[in-house]
Parts: sequence; C-alpha cells; structure tokens
Amino acid sequence: MTGRSQGRMDAQDLPAKQIRLKPAYWGILLTVVVAVLVLSPLGLLAYQSLLSAPFFAPIKQVSLDAYKYVLTDPAFYRALFNSFVIALGMVVIAVPFGTALAFLVNKTDLPFRKAFELLLLTPTFVSPIILGIGFTIVFGPVGLVSNVFQDVFGRVPWTIYSLPAIAIIAGLLHVPYVYLYVSSTIRNLDASLEEAARISGAGIWTVALNVTIPLVRPSVVYSAMLMLLLGFEIFGLPLVLGDSKGIDVITTYLYRLTGVTGVPAYGPMAVVAVMLILLALVIVGIQRKVLGETGTKYTSVGAKGYRSARFKLGKARWWMVLITALYLLVTVILPVFGVVLRSFVTSWGAGVNLLDVLTLKNYSAIFTLPDLSRGVVNTFIVAAVGGFVAVGVYLTIASGILRSTPNLRRTLDYISGLPRSVPGLIMGLAFLWLFLFFKPIGFLRTTLASLIIAYTIVWLPYGVRLLTATLMQISKDLEEAARMVGASPLKAFQKVTLPLLQSGLLSAWLLMFMQFVREYSTGVYLLTPGTEVLGSLIVSLWATGAVDSIAALSSIQIVIISIVYLIANRLGVKAGE
Amino acid sequence: MQKIVCVTLALAAAAPALAQVPKGYPASYQKTVDEAKKEKKLVIYSSTDQASAQFLLDDFKALYPFVDVEYNDIGTTQLYSRYISEAAAGGKSADFLWSSGMELQVKLATDGYALAYTSPEAKNYAATSKLDNILYGTTMEPGVLVYNKRFVKKPPTTHAEFARVLADSKMNGKVATWDPEKSGIGFTFLHEDTVAVSGAMDLFKALGKSGAGQYSSSGVMMEKVISGEHYFGYNVIGSYALLRAEKVPDIGVAYFRDKTVAFQRPAFISKLAEHPNTAKLFLDYLLSTRGQTVMANKSLIYALRPGIEGPAVPKNVYSKIGGKKNLVVIPVSRDLLKNLDPAVRNDFLNDWRSALKGQ
Repeated sequence: MTGRSQGRMDAQDLPAKQIRLKPAYWGILLTVVVAVLVLSPLGLLAYQSLLSAPFFAPIKQVSLDAYKYVLTDPAFYRALFNSFVIALGMVVIAVPFGTALAFLVNKTDLPFRKAFELLLLTPTFVSPIILGIGFTIVFGPVGLVSNVFQDVFGRVPWTIYSLPAIAIIAGLLHVPYVYLYVSSTIRNLDASLEEAARISGAGIWTVALNVTIPLVRPSVVYSAMLMLLLGFEIFGLPLVLGDSKGIDVITTYLYRLTGVTGVPAYGPMAVVAVMLILLALVIVGIQRKVLGETGTKYTSVGAKGYRSARFKLGKARWWMVLITALYLLVTVILPVFGVVLRSFVTSWGAGVNLLDVLTLKNYSAIFTLPDLSRGVVNTFIVAAVGGFVAVGVYLTIASGILRSTPNLRRTLDYISGLPRSVPGLIMGLAFLWLFLFFKPIGFLRTTLASLIIAYTIVWLPYGVRLLTATLMQISKDLEEAARMVGASPLKAFQKVTLPLLQSGLLSAWLLMFMQFVREYSTGVYLLTPGTEVLGSLIVSLWATGAVDSIAALSSIQIVIISIVYLIANRLGVKAGE
Repeated sequence: MQKIVCVTLALAAAAPALAQVPKGYPASYQKTVDEAKKEKKLVIYSSTDQASAQFLLDDFKALYPFVDVEYNDIGTTQLYSRYISEAAAGGKSADFLWSSGMELQVKLATDGYALAYTSPEAKNYAATSKLDNILYGTTMEPGVLVYNKRFVKKPPTTHAEFARVLADSKMNGKVATWDPEKSGIGFTFLHEDTVAVSGAMDLFKALGKSGAGQYSSSGVMMEKVISGEHYFGYNVIGSYALLRAEKVPDIGVAYFRDKTVAFQRPAFISKLAEHPNTAKLFLDYLLSTRGQTVMANKSLIYALRPGIEGPAVPKNVYSKIGGKKNLVVIPVSRDLLKNLDPAVRNDFLNDWRSALKGQ
C-alpha cells in the first residue's frame, strides 16, 4: 500500500510541479472564502466574549468578566465533565460498533443486510428531542418495556435518566454516522488486497482486522473525531433525558446562564462558545496528528477496483443477525414506534389501556396551525435546495483539502472543523446578528436563503468529512492522466472525477437533505413568518408542552424522510457510497 | 358569479361597519382606525402558543378586516434577544410584544422601548395591572398543581398539606417542578412563593426530601404527569394545564386555598413600531370585553378583566381557592426589576438549593 502510493508520488513529481502553481491561486481564494464564511459568526462570538455588554449596546467595555464568571462557575465544570463523558461514550460505542456493522453489511453474507441498512439510517434523520421522547416512552420509568419488566420482575433494572445511560444512548444513536463514513470507504476498497490475503490462507476475521480495517483507517479516525465534536454539541437528548435530575451538558448549561441572570447573558454564552471552538481546534489537531497529512496516502482505488465475493460468515451469521437486530430494535424500532404511538394517543403510562385513549385529534390539531403547511413546504425547499448548495460547497472545500498545498490544506482542515462545535442555538444567534448588522446581506434574513446559508456553514465539519471520504477513493491517477493530455484542472475534474463521483454526490445530497430536514436549534433565531421549518416549529411547541402535537409533527417528518429515502434507494442511490 | 358579487357587497358593507369606533371609546379614536387602515399590517412577537392565540387573531381580523397580522410565536428569552438586536440594528422588528416573561417585559418597557399610550380600556383595570401608560397586564394566569387522576384521588389544597403528602415515602420521585436556575418563569413563580406563601420554604424542603424532578420547560413536566412517571406537577402555568386537561381526561388541575400565585402576561407597543396605530387597535382589543371573552372561552388563557364569563376567568379561580383574598397576582410594576438584580437572584437561588438539598 505505502509502496504503491509512494511510487505514484514519485511518478507525479515532474508534471505536478508545473501543475501545482495554478491551483494555488484558487486554493488561496477558496481558503479565504471559507475562512470568511466560518469565521464571521465565530469571530463575532469571540468579540462578544470580551465585552461587558451586548456588542451592539451604546455603552460597553472590553472586559474579562465573562471569562471570570464562567471559569469560576462550578456548574460549568460539571457540565464540561458530563459532555466529556458523553463524547467519550460516543467514541467508545459508536466507532467500533459502526465499523463492525459497515464490514458486516458490505463485506459479508449477513442475512437481511439490505433491510438492516435501511433501518440503520433512521436515527440520523430523526431529531434527538424526538428520539429522547421515544426512549422515555419505551424505556422510561413507566415506559412500555419498563412496565413489562415491572410486572414480571417487580422492578425495572435500569434508569435512562443518568449520565452513563445518556452516554450509552448517545453512543448507540451515533452508530449510523460511523457506519456511513466507514462503509463508504469499504465499498470502494480494492478487493484484490483482501483477495490476496484470503488466498494466502487468512481467515475472515484476520482479513477484516489486518487488511480491511487498516485500509479504512482514515475514515475510522475521521468518524471518531466527528463523534467527539458532535458529543460536545449534543443538545436534544440531554435536554429530554437529563433535565429532571439536573444533568447538564455544555449546551444545556446555556439555559442555566440565562436563568441565573434573568436576562440573556451574551458574554458568558459567547465565552462557552469560545471554549468549544478551542476544544474543536484541539480535536482537529489530534485528528491531523493521527492521520498525518491526508490526501495521497490513503487513496484506495479508482478505476481498477473490482468486487470480490462476500465473506462467508458460516454459523456466526445468525449470531450477527441477532446482535444487529437487537441493536436496531432497541435504538431504532422501539423508540420510533414509541413516538408514532404517542401521536395516536391522548395519554399513556402505567395503568392506561392504550386502546381506550386512541385518537386522531393530535393530527387534526396540528393542521389548525396556519404555518404548518408552509413549514412543510419550506422544510422541503431548505432540505432539497440547501442540500444541493451544501454538497457543492463541501465538494469544493474537500477537493481543496485534498488537492492544494500543505499549508492551505492545514488551514482548510482546521477552519472546516469548527462550526459544529458551537451549540446550534448560539450559532443561530450569531447568524441573526450577522444578518442584522452586516447590511449588505440583510435582505436575506427574511428569506429561506438565511436558513440555507446557516445550515450549510453549521454542517461543514460533517459534510466536508463526508465528501473528503468520497473523494479520497477516486485516485488522482485518472485526473492526472487527463491533465497530461492537456486538460485544464477544472476540465479534468469535470470530465473525469465528477462523473466517477456521481453516485457518491447523490448520496451526500441525500444525507444533507435528511440532516437539514431534522435540524432545529440553528433555525430558532432565523424564523420569520414565511420561513418556518418543521424542526423549529417543534422547538416552539416544546415550551408549552404540546408533546402530542410534537409527536404528530415528528411522525409526519419521519414519513417524509422515509419516502424520500425509499425513492432515492429505488433510484439506486446508496447512502454510503 | 352572483354569489361572489353578493359576498363582495356584503363584505364591502360590513367592513366599514365593523371598523367603527368601539362603544365607549372617544370619537377621536376614529383617527387611529383610519391611520391603521393605511398601515394595513401588524407584526406581533409573542410567547403565547399560536394554537391559543389564533382564536384572538381570527376574531381581531373579523373586527378589523383590513389588518394583515404577522404572528411570531417565540420563547420569552429568544423574543427579548431578537427584539433588542433588531432594535439596535435598526432593522424591521415587532410592533407589538406580548410575553409571559414578566421581568423581561418590564425591563424592555422601562428601558425606553415602549410607546406611551393610554388605552381607552385602561380604566377597567386595577393599578397593579398597568405600568404607567407603557405596559399592560392582559391575563391572570395562576400557578396550579397538576396531578394524575389515576394515582391521586384527592389532591392537597394547601401548601402545608402538599408538604405532608410528600413526606410519604411512596411519593419519592413522584413530583415535578421548575428548575428556577434554568427557567425564567419558574424563577418568577417559586420566588413569589417565598414572598407570598407562608411555609413555602417548608414545602421546598419537602420537595427536596421527596427527590422532586426539576424541569426547564412545562413541556416535559406535563408529559411526565400524563404518563404517571410523576403524580404531581407543582406550579405549572394554569392556562397550559387547563388546555391540557381539556384534552387528557387523566389530568387534574388543583388550586391552593391558602395562597395561589398568578402572573400577568404583559404587553406593550414598540416605540419603533412601523404600524403603531394598528398595534394600538390590538392592545385595546386584547383588553376589551370582546378580546378577554375569547381568551376565557376559546384560547383558555385566563382573562384578567373582571366580569368576564367563561371557564378561564378570575371568578372561577376565586371560588376554588376560597375568595379573591387568597390570590396573589404579581403586579406589573418596576418592582419586578429587582428580580433581575444578581444579588436578589443569588439569594433566592441559594435558599432554593439549600432547601432542596435538605441542608
């Protein structure tokens, strides 16, 4: 592997020297554009963190008081610790499990793998608030499954309102993210390497551990780092499961900041954001350290790849089916069932015969909301158009990361890793400020463009990693061959790489579509009449306690995404390819 | 075709009739109506659930058909942030602000964001529901005890009795209330308890001993009472509870007979309003007998005005708690700003924490 890419590097040297000069210009331009997009909201927050009053107040001073306040608040450290535990839980659970699943589904004769794959993706497109409610309905103290245990054993041997429980649930819910990253790489691996190992007599597990997994190592590392980033940003799940016991994470600690002062405390909020940005820088740094300079090293194969026969699991296959099915049952099927069930009943819990409380009123109630139909349409537009825009942006950045000079690559790597580290609510506020105080873009605020821009920037770390993983499988050999025969860089990319990427791009679009449908916290400050989206409507219903309306809305949301996903699947789009 | 003509004619005839000066208003009010006709539009920022508010908006539209209302349903904190940011940027913002965050509303109004306007309806309201002529209380929403009828047959009627109920070890983990550190409205309610209810601290200690769950939104609280995970929800906003109890037969709403605390949902017209005259019409409408009646019967947000008939009216609360004397309505006044003073907040929160931890 190393030898092979080394050889290619050498062969590349000669023409590369002439070619590299030009891309440097667009590389710089790209870096500047991305930096402006990402750093303007983050820079505004950094500026706010150093002020004694809102940055737009007429009287304000530069002061470190906000830092003093946050850094001496024991509640901040408690929240930070809890966030750390959850992030760690996500890495420890989601990464090995997601990688194993990616291998099983893509490389073995695991029965029902098609159905498994379809179900697997569900947690990535259902809002965590909803999944939290789903978990409460099924595994909470009076949940459907808990009640069965209560009746049979006289007690419920678990609680979902504790830090370890939240960490485990968060880990389980993020398995699909790792699965997606890893399987997109696994699918395009050069199977000849595995074949070679098998011919030399290696067993299936030896091949998996010694050949396949090392080959997909970059995507495993990428996904581990993404888990860390998302772990610190996670909001909906601890909001629902940690609230009653006061288990705060960094994002819910923000509520405490406002609650303690009575008015929104922009200074301390911005300080928390700055802390999280620093943390994200560290995480990206670790990632770069572990992976080394990404780019050429791990390119698997472009045109030469062919697919080998699937590994035979033998007797183990049914055990694997059992474990996978159990995982899907606990993490996906039961909670989603819980939410859908909740949307058809008026009450539930111990002592309720669900047949007595069946109703359709929850659905008729939400249709009295005048913005609902607009919300559905807007969600579609933001997800479809926004997803398209986002994929274009991420593709450009990802190819910039892979194809420009090391310095620019490093800069792009760091910048694009940052946005998701700041909680969506604060990012939303920063975007509101930008649209308000930076007049040239002010007109966008009351249009869906504001949401599309905000979502695209917020999901940069996820999308860029996704497209980097996709791009990394397309060997540069082909593109360079085109360049040798005289094609311009752009033309080579257009004519050679882009067509090869087609299915990968469609999948990326589909994934962004699903993320944008479910996104909620970022949009809260950007909603105006005419720009409502489902995710944020759910947030505004949450305050007054209309969980039945929320359940109905979510069920609709789940149906929409499922339909789109199934259609896409029919059309041959594979989420992981 | 004929039908359409008829409808158009009827509308044309009805419009001026409806848009007349309401009874009892000065004749000069016609000028406000005429100006509003030119403005055509009204932008409202409100924390009131759109499902509730829609009844009021529809009725207002029937009264003034020329107004196009843009209703923004946003949380109290977001409402505050968005408004002051927009005001500072000089961007488009709300004409009318209506929020249950009492302290924040008083702060905005006294910070100079409110338009001075003496509503013709103002004389029908007590002095404790008005802050000068800038901020008006519109509702009287009690904090109530929500309970699950499957598990609780006879709810307690005083704070002391509730504390005794909680002493039973069977009640361990069965009560939900606010986390005043995380919720503004939770702070307002619980803090007022310590001022108005004797023995509030004893109840807080009992809450602590029974391992009460503390929540940052009434959403989870109510859902968990419905499921029976908690039997009681303490100090839940009465309007939301009533709306819920109507749909869910298992939910009971109880009131404390010793003292019940209620907040008012204050409203003001923005000084920066693009449509100030229409905002005046809406404020007067909310305060009018007609608006208050819709609140009491359809929106089920408790009306404030005396003499209104319907399920959500002060009279009904009085009868449940043994008279008006037992109701403590938090006044709309500058005093509320004290609740934003860090020293006052910290004192209360320290008391709360130590009571809950049983120290």
